[in-house]
Amino acid sequence: MNESVLMLTLMAGIGLGTPLVFGTVGEILTERSGILNLGVQGMMLFGAVMGFWATFVSGSLWLGVLAALLGGAGMSLIHAFNSVTLRVSQIVSGLALTIFGTGVAVYIGKAGSDPLIGQPSKAVFEPIFPEALTDVPIVGPLIFGHDALIYLSWAIVAAASYYLFHTRPGLTVRAVGEDPASAEAAGINVSKVRYIHVMLGGALAGIGGAYFSLALVPSWQDNPIGQAGWIAIALVILASWRPWRALWVAYLFGIAGRLNFTFQTLEINVPATLLDMLPFLLAIIAMIVLTSGKRAKFLGAPAALGIPYYREER
Amino acid sequence: MSRRFIVEPRGLAPWWLKLLIPIGSVIAAMILGGVFLVITGNDWIEVYQKMADAAFGSGRGFAETLVSATPLILTGVAAAIAFKMLVWNIGGEGQLIFGAVVAAGVGIWLADSTPQVIAIVAVVIAGAIGGAFWASLAAVPKVYLGTNEIITTLMLNFIALNFMQYLVLGSSSPWRDPEATQFPQGRPIVESGRIPEFFHRLDWGLFIAIGVAVIAWFVISKTRSGFEYRIVGDSFDAARYAGIKVPKKVLGTFLASGAAAGLAGSILVAGILGKMDPRSLDLGLGFTGIIVAALARLNPIAIIPVAILMGALNNAGPALQSIGVPSATVKILQGAILIFAVAGEFLISNRIHRPDPIAGEAKAEPEAQAA
Amino acid sequence: MPNADQSRTPPAVELRKIDKSFYGVLANADVDFNLARGEVHTLLGENGAGKSTLCSVMAGLYRPDSGEMLMDGEPIVLKSPKHALAAGIGMVYQHFRLVSNLTVAENLALGNPEVGLRLSQSELEAEARELGERYDFPVDPTARIWQLSVGQQQRVEILKLLYRDVRILILDEPTAVLTPQEGQALFRAMRTLADEGRSLIFVSHKLHEVKQVSDRVTVLREGRVVGNVDTADAEPRDLARMMVGKDLVLPTRAPNESIGEPVLVVDNLTVTDDRGLDAVDDLSITVNAGEVVGIAGVSGNGQRELAQGIVGLMKVTGGSVHLSGKDITGTSPLKSIKAGIAYVPQSRLGMGLAPGLDTEDNLALKQFREPPYSNGPMLSPKAFKAKGAELIEEFDVRGVRPGLPIRLLSGGNLQKALIAREVTQDHCVLIARSPTRGLDVGATAVVRDQILAERDRGVAVLLISEDLDELLALSDRLLVIYEGKIVGEMPASDATAERLGLLMSGHTEEQSA
Repeated sequence: MNESVLMLTLMAGIGLGTPLVFGTVGEILTERSGILNLGVQGMMLFGAVMGFWATFVSGSLWLGVLAALLGGAGMSLIHAFNSVTLRVSQIVSGLALTIFGTGVAVYIGKAGSDPLIGQPSKAVFEPIFPEALTDVPIVGPLIFGHDALIYLSWAIVAAASYYLFHTRPGLTVRAVGEDPASAEAAGINVSKVRYIHVMLGGALAGIGGAYFSLALVPSWQDNPIGQAGWIAIALVILASWRPWRALWVAYLFGIAGRLNFTFQTLEINVPATLLDMLPFLLAIIAMIVLTSGKRAKFLGAPAALGIPYYREER
Repeated sequence: MSRRFIVEPRGLAPWWLKLLIPIGSVIAAMILGGVFLVITGNDWIEVYQKMADAAFGSGRGFAETLVSATPLILTGVAAAIAFKMLVWNIGGEGQLIFGAVVAAGVGIWLADSTPQVIAIVAVVIAGAIGGAFWASLAAVPKVYLGTNEIITTLMLNFIALNFMQYLVLGSSSPWRDPEATQFPQGRPIVESGRIPEFFHRLDWGLFIAIGVAVIAWFVISKTRSGFEYRIVGDSFDAARYAGIKVPKKVLGTFLASGAAAGLAGSILVAGILGKMDPRSLDLGLGFTGIIVAALARLNPIAIIPVAILMGALNNAGPALQSIGVPSATVKILQGAILIFAVAGEFLISNRIHRPDPIAGEAKAEPEAQAA
Repeated sequence: MPNADQSRTPPAVELRKIDKSFYGVLANADVDFNLARGEVHTLLGENGAGKSTLCSVMAGLYRPDSGEMLMDGEPIVLKSPKHALAAGIGMVYQHFRLVSNLTVAENLALGNPEVGLRLSQSELEAEARELGERYDFPVDPTARIWQLSVGQQQRVEILKLLYRDVRILILDEPTAVLTPQEGQALFRAMRTLADEGRSLIFVSHKLHEVKQVSDRVTVLREGRVVGNVDTADAEPRDLARMMVGKDLVLPTRAPNESIGEPVLVVDNLTVTDDRGLDAVDDLSITVNAGEVVGIAGVSGNGQRELAQGIVGLMKVTGGSVHLSGKDITGTSPLKSIKAGIAYVPQSRLGMGLAPGLDTEDNLALKQFREPPYSNGPMLSPKAFKAKGAELIEEFDVRGVRPGLPIRLLSGGNLQKALIAREVTQDHCVLIARSPTRGLDVGATAVVRDQILAERDRGVAVLLISEDLDELLALSDRLLVIYEGKIVGEMPASDATAERLGLLMSGHTEEQSA
């Protein structure tokens, strides 16, 4: 039962979806505060290399995760400074971050006399529960068959959702993303809120990147993350800026990413390149159908997303 | 309310500042890159010398630099004309690719006997149309439904990329070369559709690109339609008041932007590639065009030298590997240049000074308060 | 009665000799004001009389340049609106400070330090509902702000303050956005609040409301207090005279004798605004050649929609507009320019000028399609320069430099440039909204002279303004607009401050007679 094509597809989908969960939830937190960060790809890739490097040097997986978290947050600080303090174009700044982060990650992977590239990871995230539990049909692997980062991602989704919708600071974030002027009038420090959430987004993107290099493909390659950062940006829309939905859509696309292999097993011939198109195509359709004009309000797109905020001063 | 610095919007930035910011950004990026190089145990002087040598040190090297610059001029113009009107077309990548798909389609379909001039024009124009069509997929929803174009153009990049890969790698479409048995490749276009080379691998496509940049500058600054464009780019409300049909203008600009990016695709297909080669068209030329546009401060003429600089960097990358330095150095430099340039925009549009000790903060009037 | 307490307890708020100026322009001068506990106190005055500034001082938004503020007899210096709220003073601004995509309950909790870290929607909603019921302000606490009508949004603003338990509520022109029924509900709630011992400051122009809801009235004019009376003793015509001032500049010129044929004829025009209300409601005006028709009225009574409806910037939903006999109803901005309507909008940089382009470009903003500015599809930079220099010289626009964005010119120079462009194009009608608003004396004189010169040239001028001095100085005939309708008409020579003041405040001629 647990070896069926369906189960294997689901399990692989959860694995492939996990970095997307981190990246998407992170970008949701950032965008909810009104800042668009198109640098997710760069931050993820930088997190991937930092995580791999720290684990490679120390042998500790959790030091790797910490390094990835700090790396992603550090990268995002550049964007926070550009978009919150300097208020220059968030779009150009985000793209710059992606280009820069990609360059730095690839460079670090190849630099030095004994480069990281091609090396296997010194440690790999593996399922944490004893095999006896995972032998239970269906629920065994689905609930007990995962590594620690997957459980961490669930905790982060739950925490982010609770934070945004059931706490006062979360309300503050949403208000800042919707209407910074009104938030400021209510005594909220808009810049501080935005800095914090851009960096939270960066930290989560960094962990998402490390999931590739420490769990999914535990060796260093030039780009172990594919287009995951860009997919995460698309998933934010499909998740309509809500963490729990991010979990489901990320798994959906994890499964879609795995379908290619599954279809081969089942001898169904669908070109991989067309399947790869799917997240982007669905995001555009969602964008056009759901966010045009007044409908955007139902969806949850933060009204002030991407718009620099100038305080009224007299 | 004592503050150490006062930041206020600037009226007319001095010309030297507008020149200094891009140059300063390049220098700052090189210093940052130098730090990276030194930390990782490289001789930064040697690296920069090697890069300069590869890009400008020989006729062949310079020709390659210009080959790399050609599509960047076009994607730079594409980004600049859109951004100037606050149309955030970041889909240059996808428009380039779809332009290449259409151009290659026409180039494959044309008969061998087609006269050269007609064939080249047909292939090149097809790319522009393809790019404009791909842009319209985001432009039409934006203008008529209010759909945010940032995300749609971004997503369309990946759809175009996957579609192109499908045509060659995932199917036996007419774009795939039936004779390539080892590894799937694009089918070559008709020989008469190829743009001739004139200096090493450099072809006349460079002049098409420069021509487009000059035309963009000319239209914007010298024509009636360009004046309308400048008004719309400055203020939608003033434009409406002045009797300009704003949605039509935005749509037109968006499509023109797509056409410019599409041209970059067709010039690659008709020029150095000769076919639709998925690997050679997936180099981030659209995104690099955004760096070019930002560094050129959206000025179409300034795009030409900036694109040559970026082309030089792209061209120098592979040469670095021969001295054991990762070619990703180039990406670091490009990313850093863009980060510094975008931060520098702040200095161009704002003035920072210490508070006037006597007048305090009250002096906030603009500088040209004459009457 | 609240007045009985006044002698024993200190006033809830007292202002002594408050001065406040912005960049050298005096907004409040030497203002003394006191607000008793449990009273509704009206601040009455024309636009620009300094009411909003005074309210903002009390709400902690602005700090006065000099003077002091006392609460319950104790001096207090308010550092910020947050501080004012903590001290018990809250203000409902004309532009609501609500986050439109959050629910009513969430808006109540936003930035409120008394709400705990955990946000219980159900508790918040219950509290909001209870608060609403207490003041007869039923609002669905789960509704999102954008789903509410303007009147309901205003209730949320007030509930927000009551949720913070403020003792002093400042309502800045609260009825300007309300229907009469909503207004009545607001007045009932205001009374309830006052009876609880809270004090309310009510800012208004509408005399019948003042009479109905308030205990005392303080009248402001040009930043100074010009009167303070118990409402019971106040006659509307006295208030109107105080508000407008006795020293109105009477027209010094003879009325134009050579008034010609009707040029601009507006019949039963209706224009619906963004909120779906008829901002211009079945309105008719005729402007003849060589005549200045002034439209007086408090801002927000349909002036913007009237002007924009005529020139095609807003959709006309009923009625017709004729220009020299030709039907131009529902025209486009371009067609209205070509038909010969010159238009000076109220917002110079927001609409009349492209702020980032230079002066020469802005002077050609409308005529660039015609020679000499363009020649076929090509522009003529020479003509831009030559015509620009000519107009800059003739209209004395100062501070111009080539390439300098026009937004950096001063207000007077902006307006001179705008007027220069509008009156030198081919036109038979000039529509001008508050053309001298915010200008210094010199620029005001230039603009007024230009408008009179237009009239003498036989242009039909529609002058829409809130400035009575300006209207009386320039108009041949005066109309008063109130809630989208023309409520009175008179030759300028028959206009008195009192009569205009009453009409502008919604008193019809029959009522005031």
